[in-house]
Amino acid sequence: METMDTDKAAKKAAMKDLRAQRKDLIEAASLQMKKQKKDIKAIEAFLTGRAATIPDIAQGIGLPTDKTLWYIASLKKYGRIVEGSKAGAFFNYALNEPANNTEQEEV
Amino acid sequence: MVSPDIKKFDTLVVGGGIAGLQAALDLGDQGYTVAVVEKDASIGGKMIRLSKVFPTLDCASCITTPKMSAAAHHENITLFTYCDLVSLDTDESANGSGINCRIIQRPRYVDPVKCIGCRQCEYICPVHVPDMEQGGLSAKRAISIPFSNAIPQLPILDIEHCMLCGQCEKVCPTNAIDYFQQPEDMMLSANTAIVTTGFELLPVKTFVQYGNGSIPNVVDALQMERLLAPHGPYNRVIRPSDGMEPDSIAYVQCAGSRDKSHGVPYCSRVCCMYAIKQAMLLSGSLPLADITIYYMDIRAFGKGYEQFYQNAKAMGIEFVKAKVARIDQGDNGSATVRYERQDGSGTASQDHDLVVLSMGVVPGWNPEPICAVSKSTDHFITSIKPKISPVLTSINGVFVAGAAAGPKDIVDTITESGSAAMEAAKFMSNSPRGN
Repeated sequence: METMDTDKAAKKAAMKDLRAQRKDLIEAASLQMKKQKKDIKAIEAFLTGRAATIPDIAQGIGLPTDKTLWYIASLKKYGRIVEGSKAGAFFNYALNEPANNTEQEEV
Repeated sequence: MVSPDIKKFDTLVVGGGIAGLQAALDLGDQGYTVAVVEKDASIGGKMIRLSKVFPTLDCASCITTPKMSAAAHHENITLFTYCDLVSLDTDESANGSGINCRIIQRPRYVDPVKCIGCRQCEYICPVHVPDMEQGGLSAKRAISIPFSNAIPQLPILDIEHCMLCGQCEKVCPTNAIDYFQQPEDMMLSANTAIVTTGFELLPVKTFVQYGNGSIPNVVDALQMERLLAPHGPYNRVIRPSDGMEPDSIAYVQCAGSRDKSHGVPYCSRVCCMYAIKQAMLLSGSLPLADITIYYMDIRAFGKGYEQFYQNAKAMGIEFVKAKVARIDQGDNGSATVRYERQDGSGTASQDHDLVVLSMGVVPGWNPEPICAVSKSTDHFITSIKPKISPVLTSINGVFVAGAAAGPKDIVDTITESGSAAMEAAKFMSNSPRGN
């Protein structure tokens, strides 16, 4: 039991050192993650109860269309969004409901 | 510092693409032990990233995956993926084994023995990063398995984008995440080596006339391969800038090839055929789209290639004999291609929804200063007997195969790999260091 506690403490200290070493990278990654989280939340909120094309989503949430597609492609890959019917030259995208927390990649 | 143990093999294969895998399998099947050193996280090279192959339009993955799997499970083949080759020296002394090489295994931050490839770490990771396996056109997670049929099925943690939030570690059912993993130095020795380091495309960013990579919807041919692949970034062909299905697609041939100003005075050999292949696949997936190929000459040199070209013309693909001078950003995400017709009728311009650049092929690896094998003026590895045995290099016991020796198609690459394996086997059976 004592050995386990010592191991845990040593791991905690090592992680603290590692975080100090990678401080700049961690800060940059955290900022990036927060921005991404906000963008994805906006996309999901926009798509709640409706399907929309990339230009519509982009206009609705104020993101460039290429960045919106970048997110949609990723969300689709991890099963959060599904592709729907065609609207002119574009495709509609909708939330994959019911919300499923255990993400699975599409095959 | 303690010297790492030396792992001994009969043959060292540098590069785990289709050329390296074929050579390794040919030697492994003959009973020789083979080490395959690959810089990427997965074996399979460029071919596993392709959609289909010309002129048969067979699924590239269906040909490559069995070879990848056969190599991974072969009792005589050991794979060293995600490794950098630091040195490759020859030792001609009587007791020397021939080839000595030092490699560094880059850290994956995942224990390869404990990891079961369940991808729980990938699903939980909150950071999205550009997925370069998909040409940067979509995102993946900061910890992820490179692609669905990657071998080995081990995730890589992108340390540049990791917050050390610990979520992947918590969710891992086998405690495989190791944030403290360090690069591992390894020494390999072998009797022979086969260099199969493949090719890269010239980067679009170096071409001011094509917009330096800043014009939306101007992609290179490998990005188009991903757009066409069933496991591509969007699972269909749409424009990266806005998701629109393109109505008009153009191919710009000899983009950088046959152009001394970019150091590629030679013909890249495969661009004509892969552009025709992609155009045929596009006309299948987008039957109403106009597809134009701007070309200087069509070089359909292989068996069945001319018929393939004729079939493409019969399908309605437009071939315009012209040299593209520049590409500008057009309206509504289009790209304006400005070109000079080669029939002397002057210049013209045309807007396209999507433009594909058939970029020049350059060597995938510069042997200097790692290995003293000689290079030609085109920077590809030179053969000392290009006519009668093109796999022989300037170093005794070191052979070359595939696009490492010059641009070539998959058929020629596989043939050459078999030849390199045969030469290596012959060398080992004739040489004292092989016995």
